[in-house]
Amino acid sequence: MRKRLKQQIDRLRAAGAAYVDVRWYPSEQTEHLMMWNGNLKNASASCESGAGVRVLYKGAWGFSASSDTDNLTALFDKAFDNARIAAECVSIAVRLADKHAVQAEFRSPNKIDPFSISLAEKTAFLKKLDQELNQKGVTQRICELTFMKKQIVYLDSEGSEIEKNIIEVFPSIEVMGVDADGESHLRKYKPHINATTRGWEMLDPGMFSENAQRIVAELNQILLAQTCCKDERSVILLPDIMYLQTHETIGHALELDRILGYELAFAGGSFVKPSDFGMLRYGSAKLTARADATIPNSPGSFGYDDDGVAAQNNLLIDKGILVGAITGRQMVEQANDFAHKIIFNGSSGANRAQSFYRVPIERMTNINIDPGTDGTLDDIISTTEKGIILDGEKSWSIGSNREQFHFATEIGWLVEDGRVTDVVKNATYEGDTVKFYNSLSAVGDHSTWKVCQVDNCGKGQPNQVMQLGHGVPVCRFDNVRIGN
Amino acid sequence: MKDQILQTLRILRAYAIKKGVDASIFYYEEESFLMRFANSAVSLNTNEHLVRIEITVYEGRKRASYEMITSLSDIETMKDGIDTAAEMVKHVQPLDYTPSVKVYSENYIDESCYDDSLAHISNEERLAYINEAVEGLNNDDIKLSGIFSCGANTTAQINTRSENIQYFKSSDAQISIVLSHAALNWEVSSEQSAQKKSDLNPLQLRSELRFLVKHYVNNTPQQLSSGRYDIVFGSAAVSELVSIIDWIGICGGAMKRGFSFIKEDDTGKKIFSDKFSLTDDPTRRETFPFSRDITGIVRKPFSIVENGVFRSFTWYQDDADEFGVEATGHTVMHKSLVVHCGDKRVNTLSELMSMPRDRDTLYIPHLHYMNIVNPSKGLITASSRFGALLLKRDGSMAVPYNVRITQCMSDIFGDKLAWLSDKQCAYNTSVSYGARNPTAVITPKFILVNDLEISQVNLSVDKRQT
Repeated sequence: MRKRLKQQIDRLRAAGAAYVDVRWYPSEQTEHLMMWNGNLKNASASCESGAGVRVLYKGAWGFSASSDTDNLTALFDKAFDNARIAAECVSIAVRLADKHAVQAEFRSPNKIDPFSISLAEKTAFLKKLDQELNQKGVTQRICELTFMKKQIVYLDSEGSEIEKNIIEVFPSIEVMGVDADGESHLRKYKPHINATTRGWEMLDPGMFSENAQRIVAELNQILLAQTCCKDERSVILLPDIMYLQTHETIGHALELDRILGYELAFAGGSFVKPSDFGMLRYGSAKLTARADATIPNSPGSFGYDDDGVAAQNNLLIDKGILVGAITGRQMVEQANDFAHKIIFNGSSGANRAQSFYRVPIERMTNINIDPGTDGTLDDIISTTEKGIILDGEKSWSIGSNREQFHFATEIGWLVEDGRVTDVVKNATYEGDTVKFYNSLSAVGDHSTWKVCQVDNCGKGQPNQVMQLGHGVPVCRFDNVRIGN
Repeated sequence: MKDQILQTLRILRAYAIKKGVDASIFYYEEESFLMRFANSAVSLNTNEHLVRIEITVYEGRKRASYEMITSLSDIETMKDGIDTAAEMVKHVQPLDYTPSVKVYSENYIDESCYDDSLAHISNEERLAYINEAVEGLNNDDIKLSGIFSCGANTTAQINTRSENIQYFKSSDAQISIVLSHAALNWEVSSEQSAQKKSDLNPLQLRSELRFLVKHYVNNTPQQLSSGRYDIVFGSAAVSELVSIIDWIGICGGAMKRGFSFIKEDDTGKKIFSDKFSLTDDPTRRETFPFSRDITGIVRKPFSIVENGVFRSFTWYQDDADEFGVEATGHTVMHKSLVVHCGDKRVNTLSELMSMPRDRDTLYIPHLHYMNIVNPSKGLITASSRFGALLLKRDGSMAVPYNVRITQCMSDIFGDKLAWLSDKQCAYNTSVSYGARNPTAVITPKFILVNDLEISQVNLSVDKRQT
């Protein structure tokens, strides 16, 4: 198959294509198990294979994909035809940043392939969790396991040939209950990835049992709690909400295709402009953020992106100043042109596609916040006069240029004079992105830093759902509106 | 192709029966074309042709599914899929209810919503459509973004309980054009939804865009004050709101699980304004309807809210099985939701702007990134986007920066609902999360809701403040 693909690439290059690449998925497997109140509502698996071809012709992209790889000539010709018509309407010709051609292989670090575990063992695991969640105050119990296994072969006209074999495991448990006013509340647990691998072995039964007890206890506290009042306070975001804050208002805001206007038709743009790099004070000096696709234990680490560029660890925000973006090969040249200076020296290796039948676009890798020097969670609480600790995402809504946001959280703990007082329910907070990050007043140390998985990041047209990660510490922001 | 699909399903059914497997088989084929624009150029021109087969195997109270993306000619792989699902079901936990497998009483073929000339409109025609729609409107300052998405959907179902097959084929197109000002940061948009080629009308899009651009070019954007406003929502915003009602309001399974702001004993009660009526109407072609649901139930107009009175929850077959109620013909990939007209003769933006008013009125055509803050209360939050206008009491107009609204459905569609336009339009709400599923909601052109709170306002032309 690889030989046939190379022949097709060579054929299109000879016919005038400036660049050609193909991603062939010999196999992509998924498995999803969901137990709801003891019922195995979903036990499903899937397998798909096919190829996606991308052609650059006279500065324009064409893409075509098919699950039928018997007629490769038709598939490659269709991609070329799509590029030809797109070339009739070019305003800024696509130029690809330089890269090194590589022959390489990447395997995600896993000890136990989850697809080698029997369905009976997996459902027994869920059943045990469900039983542990079946306690007083809990009206709904949801236990889920999702497994992914991809084999991807990448070839391009610049001589790269890369094979990736990636396994992911996404577990979660969730409980819901109804308070005296008839309102539903929830608490969930998705494990942080503190191991160095990401196979079946990450499903530690003891860790799940411990957290099952915790979320049930916290749910029962929420059911008896007062509603969070409208106020202005310091908010202390625990990792299970800080990761989403980072995702929505640093990650998406710093995708270079959004910044350059390539997502305006749907997802939106970004308040960041090309001229802001090196200039914009995005946050306080306590804020250092990076795109790190090299940590071993996260779905945001994949070896090589779908431009064939190696994974990297790049600063995005350095002590509060915007310095970098999430980029593929195409956007960096254009951004440099727009800014009339060299902002980017090359791709940051973040161009990825959900599947063989989607075109690669700028996607987050692991968008992390560096640990700070403000100590443990207890240390941060002790220096907070009037605050609220927030955890667990319930809803999130972001302005179309990522300029403002509104989050609802599962649980809040009020802080008065350095002490935790009451639990509150229906806690929300909202703010304006740059003002919010400039109010960052404390960043927890490494003891508070957790890697959180994201398995459902949506972007693009046609929409693509991507997996990634966020390593984040506990963070405190001052003078934030809450309770709306 | 149809004959090959039907024949393949019959072969797979025969194979399952031979193996002693109780199975239902769902065939899904999409042929999709997307031309995407950004920075006044084609940023992506793509197509995909995918065949999905989903096999669900039943063993009493046990159920397991296996799905594959494959080639229609690869019957052996599909047979392997049946074997895999049959092996899976042996190892799953039984449900505490028995899932239904319905008998199809007859073969049913519905291609009434398919137009080959739309499904296979050429690359050249799509580009020409967009060029015609924006002619004279985009320039060095005003950039074009958008999509021309079109294609065909084929779904078919068979199971081992009968030899009959259900087969549906439809075509669709969704066109969205955004014009954005590079320096002033405003964005306006207009959309069109088509089920057949003759629905396409680029001149209408151009007319709507020209009207918006004219007013945006001549007005400097400004920050609004937070506080309470009378708000006119356009069809895109109303469609988004109704889609949320579909999710956390009228779905029987969500209600039973405590994830609905409409309670079980609300049936028969007045819970919205008497101006608000909502129907699931599969006779409306613009909604890309399913004339029968996946279980074979014939779908007819189904009253959900009538003059503010909540009539009925909708029940998927699996929820109906679990909670012991009758399914309502809503085991479909999407409903055909229709918000009934009102009596206000305001059906164009021009008519809206010239309408006398005694208070400042905010026009919000689109709601961006809506999410559910509290499902039990029907509390949602979203931002305005694309073409919002502040229609001032004195008859003048201003362009506002985006604002955030955080509000309950019972306020928006309750006593604060002042009027609805007397004409409707179809707003295409398709989002291709995984598979092509053309969907549209029919709404009045505008609705006016009095006294809603704007909780957050954008601060500057740069949309940021340090």
